[in-house]
Amino acid sequence: MICIISNQVKLSASGIGFIMAIRYSIVTIFLLCLIFTGPARSQETDKVQKALQTIDLAGSEGRGSEAASQAAEQLLVHGIEILPQLFEHMDTDNIVAANWCRYVYQQIVTRELAKPQPRIPTKFLRTYVLESKHRGRARRLAWSLLDHVDPEFRKQQLPRLLDDREFRSEAVQRVLQRGDEAQQAGQAAAAVGHYRLAFQHARESSQILKAADQLSRLNINVDIIEQMGFLNRWYLLGPFNAPQFSGFKQAFPPESKVDLLASYPGQDGVIGWQPYQNSDRLGQTNLVQAIGPVKEAVGYAYAEVHSPSDQKAELRCGADDNMTVWINEKQVFSRGQWLNGTRLDRFSAPCQLTEGTNRILIKICQGPQHKNPAVPNNWSFQIRFCDATGLNVGLRTLKPTSAETDAVKTQKKE
Amino acid sequence: MPVKKQTSRKLSLLLIAVYLVIGCSLGKTHCAEAWTQWRGPQRNGIADGPSPPLTWSATENVAWKTALPGSGISSPIIWKDQIFVTAAEREHPNQLHLICLSRQDGSVHWHRRFWGTAPTRFHSTKSSMASPTPVTDGQFVYAYYGTGDVFCVDLQGRLKWQRSLATEYGRFENRFSATSSPVLLNDLLILQCDHYGPSYAIALEKRTGRNRWKTARPKTWLSWSSPRLVPTQDGHELVLCSSLKIDGLNPSTGKLLWTIDGMRRECIPTPVFGHGLIYAVSGPKGPTLAIRPGGRGNVTESHVKWENQRGAPYVPSAILVGDYYYLVDDQGISTCLNAHSGKRVWQKRLTGAFTASPIATNQFIYFTNEDGLTIVLAAHQDRYLERARNRIEESVYASSAIDGGQLLIRSSQHLWCISR
Repeated sequence: MICIISNQVKLSASGIGFIMAIRYSIVTIFLLCLIFTGPARSQETDKVQKALQTIDLAGSEGRGSEAASQAAEQLLVHGIEILPQLFEHMDTDNIVAANWCRYVYQQIVTRELAKPQPRIPTKFLRTYVLESKHRGRARRLAWSLLDHVDPEFRKQQLPRLLDDREFRSEAVQRVLQRGDEAQQAGQAAAAVGHYRLAFQHARESSQILKAADQLSRLNINVDIIEQMGFLNRWYLLGPFNAPQFSGFKQAFPPESKVDLLASYPGQDGVIGWQPYQNSDRLGQTNLVQAIGPVKEAVGYAYAEVHSPSDQKAELRCGADDNMTVWINEKQVFSRGQWLNGTRLDRFSAPCQLTEGTNRILIKICQGPQHKNPAVPNNWSFQIRFCDATGLNVGLRTLKPTSAETDAVKTQKKE
Repeated sequence: MPVKKQTSRKLSLLLIAVYLVIGCSLGKTHCAEAWTQWRGPQRNGIADGPSPPLTWSATENVAWKTALPGSGISSPIIWKDQIFVTAAEREHPNQLHLICLSRQDGSVHWHRRFWGTAPTRFHSTKSSMASPTPVTDGQFVYAYYGTGDVFCVDLQGRLKWQRSLATEYGRFENRFSATSSPVLLNDLLILQCDHYGPSYAIALEKRTGRNRWKTARPKTWLSWSSPRLVPTQDGHELVLCSSLKIDGLNPSTGKLLWTIDGMRRECIPTPVFGHGLIYAVSGPKGPTLAIRPGGRGNVTESHVKWENQRGAPYVPSAILVGDYYYLVDDQGISTCLNAHSGKRVWQKRLTGAFTASPIATNQFIYFTNEDGLTIVLAAHQDRYLERARNRIEESVYASSAIDGGQLLIRSSQHLWCISR
């Protein structure tokens, strides 16, 4: 029995030894793998990084295309694990490099999504989408992938993105929809809340107008001019005579000095500055109505505005036919196009406003009648000051210090 | 044995005959010049091969239809069994698409997505950032977008090079998006970039995308017309229609050769060429000019063979079929002029409004309106001879393509293949 037991013990002992030996072997193999595959993996990582750096160098005039094409093909042998690196290199002002990365991304992701159980790095994508430091196009791409694997994320996060520089529009649209739904359900107070929220956060004119219209139907008035930063109270002067297309280059007296009490020889008699306030909901001043249906002429508009601080702002403007803008006697915008129509925010230019009073002078030209007499001769302009998102920067129109009269004509609403 | 030998000989001869028939028919399809660019093989809107079926509807003679992403009024182009088409998203116009479909069944071979640099702010609902038609030389596809970007991919969709012209030379200022379709000449890809800002024409090397030449067009205003190559004794001239004038350039160097005044502002149609003349349509309500190439300097007085002030469209390009030159204006008034004299042959109001340009075979001319109605006229007639009216029940703004008896119609939602 003992023998048997001892034999069993012996056997057991040798079995344990065998198992231990296997364990040691596995550990040894694992360590060897670490020793040999670690550098290999590191080499692969280096290759990926090198290929992405090659892509970063692709740029203007076709520079680096051939190398980038080869690098892209090298990256295509990799799988979804390089997705974070692709996003890192897409996040660049170099759109050529970004598109090379997107080309690789698209094929890797398509391959992965075709698998029975795709391994999409959702945690990484969620974080990336919500980090506003990344460029909008890359965040949007990440979100479109998340929609495949985590559609609830959009529903959950969108309401929180009302001030997001990339997703503001969709977030505001959702709030407007909720306002519509509340209105249809007869919940006026809730609808007002949604529309107010949408108006406050919207930066696109179509959304601002929709929110304002819906609030107006619910007997609540909001100030679009104030929200968007339009200037709509002006002193106007014109028409100066400017044959054919000569007006743009010809300087008239206001460009040397604005004297609101002065009078000048105009196209059809003596002209002087006249106060004028337009009532257009997007601040467009119709000079045909305000000055007259003239041709081959130049008009000026002048306003003084109060800025709460020294600040950089964005001048956004449009005119028909063309316009030049001076702020505090410094020209900040000039565009010599003819017959191009006044469109909201058609042009933009950076500008500097000083704390206190700022003098704004605008020159608007009017060309000859179109060869087709049926084509109306528009003469109008539109201007606003806002931050990068399109929100008013807190300007207030002042009564010019040299103005003699405060009679204000109100433009008839078209 | 002899019987077996005879049988096998017969079989061999039969097989050879079958191969020859198949080979010839394939050869005919492939050897006829394919619709590889805007307005087809000769950039005149005319297909070389057989005509598609005379009648069709949303269900009749439809070989297949495939939903397309986004929007676009670029035309499909064809190379052998592949069709290439571009699109851009309406809500996010910087999202660009280049799609390759099977000509056999409309299935998607590959679909590339790119970012556009600078979408223009103001474009009409008809247009999009995918208004220019791509072009292929049978090795590569060159896709140009209103965002100011050019992409070169091979036929398998592998990206070879790309250019962001908007980054390099300024964003396009163009209220309907750039629509000018590039043209190929030898080893060059040539683009006409006329807009409110600094306009230019540029020739890129097909293989690398590098500049061969770039010519500033400082006196050129906005246009949407596409460049046109015209054969001359010395090679080719590059004809560029724009606001107020037409320019002839040396396509190898970009140097200006000649100018003709007399166009209206905002020219959209692409000129056609035939009978040794360039037929150019001006902007809205402007003239049609028949011009002799080969001039030097301002040749307005010497090289305009005839001018007709009536019937000119704003958007659709015109078409020259044989001795007749056909126009359809945006409101649907069609006009046929004698191509040699410019005299009016007939004028007829079609149905609806038109954005797409007419196309033709040697037998028929196809006018497709914005409601998806195609009016088929008999070609080479001295009178209005309507042969069919076919409707697909979807709006159409893009110009169609014909190749090997297939008619490809791009509607606002689908690419349709009309075929027997």
